[in-house]
Amino acid sequence: QSYTFTDVAIEGNRRVEPGTILSYAGIARGQTVNAAELNEAYQRIQGSGLFEEVEIVPQGGTLLIRVVEFPTVNQISIEGNRAIDDDALLPQVQTQSRRVYSPSQAEADADAIADAYVQQGRVAARVQPRVIRRSDNRVDLVFEVFEGGVAEVERIGFAGNSQYSDRRLRRAIQTKQAGFLRAIIASDTFIEERINFDRQALSDFYASRGYVDFRVTGVNAELSEERDAYFLTFNVEEGQQFRFGGVSVSSDLPEVNAPLFREAVRVRPGTVYSPSLVERDVARLERLAIREGLDFIRVEPRITRNDRDLSLNVNYVLTRGERIFVERIDIEGNTTTLDRVVRRQFDTVEGDPFNPREIRETAERIRALGFFRNAEVNAREGSSPQEVIVDVDVEEQPTGSISFGGSYSTSSGFGIQVGFSERNFLGRGQQLAFQVSTGVSNQRYSFNFTEPALLGRDLAFGLDLSYAETNRDNSEYNTAIGTFSPSLTFPIAENADLQVRYTARYNDLSIPDESEVGQIVRSEAARGEQVESSVGYTLSYDTRRTGLDPTAGVLLEFSQDFGGLGGDQQFIKTAARASAQRLVYNEEVTLRATVEAGALNYQGDGSRVTDRYFLGTSRMRGFEPGGIGPREFDDGGDIDDALGGNYFAVARFEAEFPLGLPEEYGISGGVFYDVGNLWGLDETNDNVLYEDGALRQVVGVSLFWTTPLGPLRFNFSEALQKESEDKAQNFEFTISTDF
Amino acid sequence: CGAQERPGTGPGGVPLENFTAEQIFERGEFELERDRPEDAAEYFGEIERLYPYSEWAKRALIMQAFAFHRDRDYENSRAAAQRYIDFYPLEDDAAYAQYLLALSYYDQIEEVGRDQGLTFQALQSLRAVIETYPDSEYARSAILKFDLAFDHLAGKEMEIGRYYLKRQHYAAAVNRFRVVVEDFQTTTHTPEALHRLVEAYLSLGLTDEAQTAGAILGYNYRSTAWYKDSYALLTGQGLSPQSIGDNWLSAIYRQTVKGEWL
Amino acid sequence: CVAQYRDHGYVPREDQLSQIVPGIDTRATVEDVVGVPSTSSVRTDGGYYYVSSRMRSFAWREPEVVDREIVAISFDEGGIVRGIERYGLEDGRVVPLSRRVTENSGGDIGFIRRLFGNIGGLTLDNFGS
Repeated sequence: QSYTFTDVAIEGNRRVEPGTILSYAGIARGQTVNAAELNEAYQRIQGSGLFEEVEIVPQGGTLLIRVVEFPTVNQISIEGNRAIDDDALLPQVQTQSRRVYSPSQAEADADAIADAYVQQGRVAARVQPRVIRRSDNRVDLVFEVFEGGVAEVERIGFAGNSQYSDRRLRRAIQTKQAGFLRAIIASDTFIEERINFDRQALSDFYASRGYVDFRVTGVNAELSEERDAYFLTFNVEEGQQFRFGGVSVSSDLPEVNAPLFREAVRVRPGTVYSPSLVERDVARLERLAIREGLDFIRVEPRITRNDRDLSLNVNYVLTRGERIFVERIDIEGNTTTLDRVVRRQFDTVEGDPFNPREIRETAERIRALGFFRNAEVNAREGSSPQEVIVDVDVEEQPTGSISFGGSYSTSSGFGIQVGFSERNFLGRGQQLAFQVSTGVSNQRYSFNFTEPALLGRDLAFGLDLSYAETNRDNSEYNTAIGTFSPSLTFPIAENADLQVRYTARYNDLSIPDESEVGQIVRSEAARGEQVESSVGYTLSYDTRRTGLDPTAGVLLEFSQDFGGLGGDQQFIKTAARASAQRLVYNEEVTLRATVEAGALNYQGDGSRVTDRYFLGTSRMRGFEPGGIGPREFDDGGDIDDALGGNYFAVARFEAEFPLGLPEEYGISGGVFYDVGNLWGLDETNDNVLYEDGALRQVVGVSLFWTTPLGPLRFNFSEALQKESEDKAQNFEFTISTDF
Repeated sequence: CGAQERPGTGPGGVPLENFTAEQIFERGEFELERDRPEDAAEYFGEIERLYPYSEWAKRALIMQAFAFHRDRDYENSRAAAQRYIDFYPLEDDAAYAQYLLALSYYDQIEEVGRDQGLTFQALQSLRAVIETYPDSEYARSAILKFDLAFDHLAGKEMEIGRYYLKRQHYAAAVNRFRVVVEDFQTTTHTPEALHRLVEAYLSLGLTDEAQTAGAILGYNYRSTAWYKDSYALLTGQGLSPQSIGDNWLSAIYRQTVKGEWL
Repeated sequence: CVAQYRDHGYVPREDQLSQIVPGIDTRATVEDVVGVPSTSSVRTDGGYYYVSSRMRSFAWREPEVVDREIVAISFDEGGIVRGIERYGLEDGRVVPLSRRVTENSGGDIGFIRRLFGNIGGLTLDNFGS
């Protein structure tokens, strides 16, 4: 039946105005309303979330709405928490002071706090929300926490495994263990999720070793009463180990040149089958398809079993994927970076065929810019099923820094240090930095600027200006070196760049006290100021990021500088570097080998200590700066000048691997072995040692720690073979660059 | 300098609980005059906490939103404004609360200058002001700001269109400029969009499309410099690149230093 | 030095184009058979254009378009295919782009703000070995 109301009475509201309740109810005066509409009004008032209870009572001509408001939250506190402190827990709580208190939200907050404890392995934590009534319908909300012990005791057993021992399998599950606890929500689902996770970890382990028929036939598990330990036993059926049989590439598309793709396949018949090897080949073939300009190509690995000789034949079929185009590329979140700086990382242009792999590679390039805390690139359907919109959501991070500093040291007296550096100057992607640091005896001024895309092209322009006066702390002569060097860098082929540069270099060598310096340096200093003017180039070939193989890469660099274009020195400076890197053991361990060499030949009076090479720790570890190479040594007159060398050759072999610590600590370990030598002088005398010297060998361990400030590297080294007067250095701390 | 009173305590460090809502309110207004909006917002917040049911709580809530806004703390300003709209939708200050909510997005565009996401949110909340409180005094300035934000979005489309035009990706450029012509006709960018369409279609060799774009430009924006440029291009006496002093050195200076990269 | 080539856009293949019959096919059937056009006319009832271009970039020089193919499908008022024309690179004209830009009203934050707006935490690579 239906009602008409002449007036409305509202009871029980305190903070909320009658008008507000009426506007939610949506019933006008004198409007006839049936039961359903009354119910809708009730729903709307209830839906506002302001009231604990709502009642609508039609009394003849008047409509009575009786409400009980939720109290307002006065204060929120957490008690009984020792392991995690308040300011770590409070952000999890949605209920805010001054806002309306709702019991369901308080329950959800209690769960959120319990979840924070579970992430630390305290599965037994209990959190109870309690309400304290205050005056004026206000409440205080208190979360009482009982932390309980950490669930670390766990015993996992296996039945039916013959190829791999219980300990090995337990380790297979362990390594994936660290991140797992984060996924549990409530403690009673602990068992099922844990089992599914371990089941998956086990089948991944066996699958990557060729056991394609591996099955977990059954699991029995219980959680101890005190909820601090669980016992699991897995019954497994391993099946046989399969190897790769025939490997082939086929396609019925006319434009595909199958033999070319056949060569790009890396899997060799006979090796143990593993899904990741197949996936890597698919990646290689898809990348090759882009390079050949083939659109909409999809690579499908079709695998046929041959149970007699336990082999799997893989046939990579190149088919035509469905025809999808990139309709728009929308970039959002770039508050300082200009749109074009991000957009030019895309090779894909709006309207081009959509190629997921190329978009993923572009996402890598955007992240590599270093301007963003994170950059998400994903595609969603556009205005028609054939079109896709690529959304780039970036979150900026500070890329500039200003440094002011004053310093006072007994040796170099008062000094000020001013610096400004910006990796994303004015959001244009340009890099600009200047540094002024002065002391009584040391001054250093430097300015450098790089425009990565001059005239909008793939052409980087660099400009470096610096002037430094130093007094070498390990020997008693002063140097003053000024350089001016503009350069242009551009691609000359796939993965290959060429840099051409001009360098004008002023250097001066002076000796404050003749008696403390050896004869070589004295004669070199007698030449006073010298100016060099040289042109040079660097050829570099780098496949680390763009190469066909995602887990390996090589960097080759060859550079030469020719002095004599004006200036007083005729010289040729040649340097070469080759470095290869490979990720092994499903991409957890990095192996890297680098070989580096340099040669100077100066005509006329020859090179000076300011020109020659010094093997710094960036080239060879384990020695102090100037601690290696030819030196003028006269014990009587306590002369010990490091002279540097015209030639150097170094080889570095290192491995980096995780230490099994949870990855949020960001700590990993490494071992390294360096061997090399620094030799060759133009002018010598009988006090000079190691003019040709012997190979130095160093072995060491390093610790990597990625901190918010940057990746740190601590090296502990021991010289296996060195010359007696070399100055070893067993510990050094550097910022580790990724080679 | 004077003893720095910790918020949450009144003058002389006496806890706020002992003060009436009105005293705390005046204290908040006093802080606003002293141009300390953050402390003012704190005091107004305390009124809402201590006396949630008083008449002062309602006025304190809108003042809190205003104070946070003055302090450029847009997050809290939005939260307070939204609370006011939830609790007191029929009050006349509700229009102001909705307007403050829109301003909190809009002012961030000024500060940020480049982000599309924020512009879009500003447009939506400004439209909410215009539609729900059409006759309030904020509707007029909301409309003005709406047009500015709308113009800003069109500017973004133009920027991307020019990027593709310069790199000779004419089809992509045409699509971007067509978006401006179709969805953003009321903005100041439309004449330029039409001229760019003429440039792009001519570069592709689709002369009749270029004529059409030029005709639309001539019909609606005959007096603009854009129409003169298009007219010159379409009638063939267009200038050759060399004649506008475009040697490579001036190009490097213009693009690298001044940042005008076209 | 080796030049690098990149293809952009999309033009339907001959066998697909031959399935389009003027006088019968409409915009929808064209899109099914041949795909969505790269761009279309400035008028909503205008033609469809499929553009594919090949760009050659060599060392420091600006990438240049070395080949461009345009397939234009025109429609009559009823939206039925009238004809298919083809244009090549030679039809394009070198057009000097006007450097004038419509200033964005307001919204351009000051130079100083942009210069120092992005200053943040100290990162170690400022010390650099």
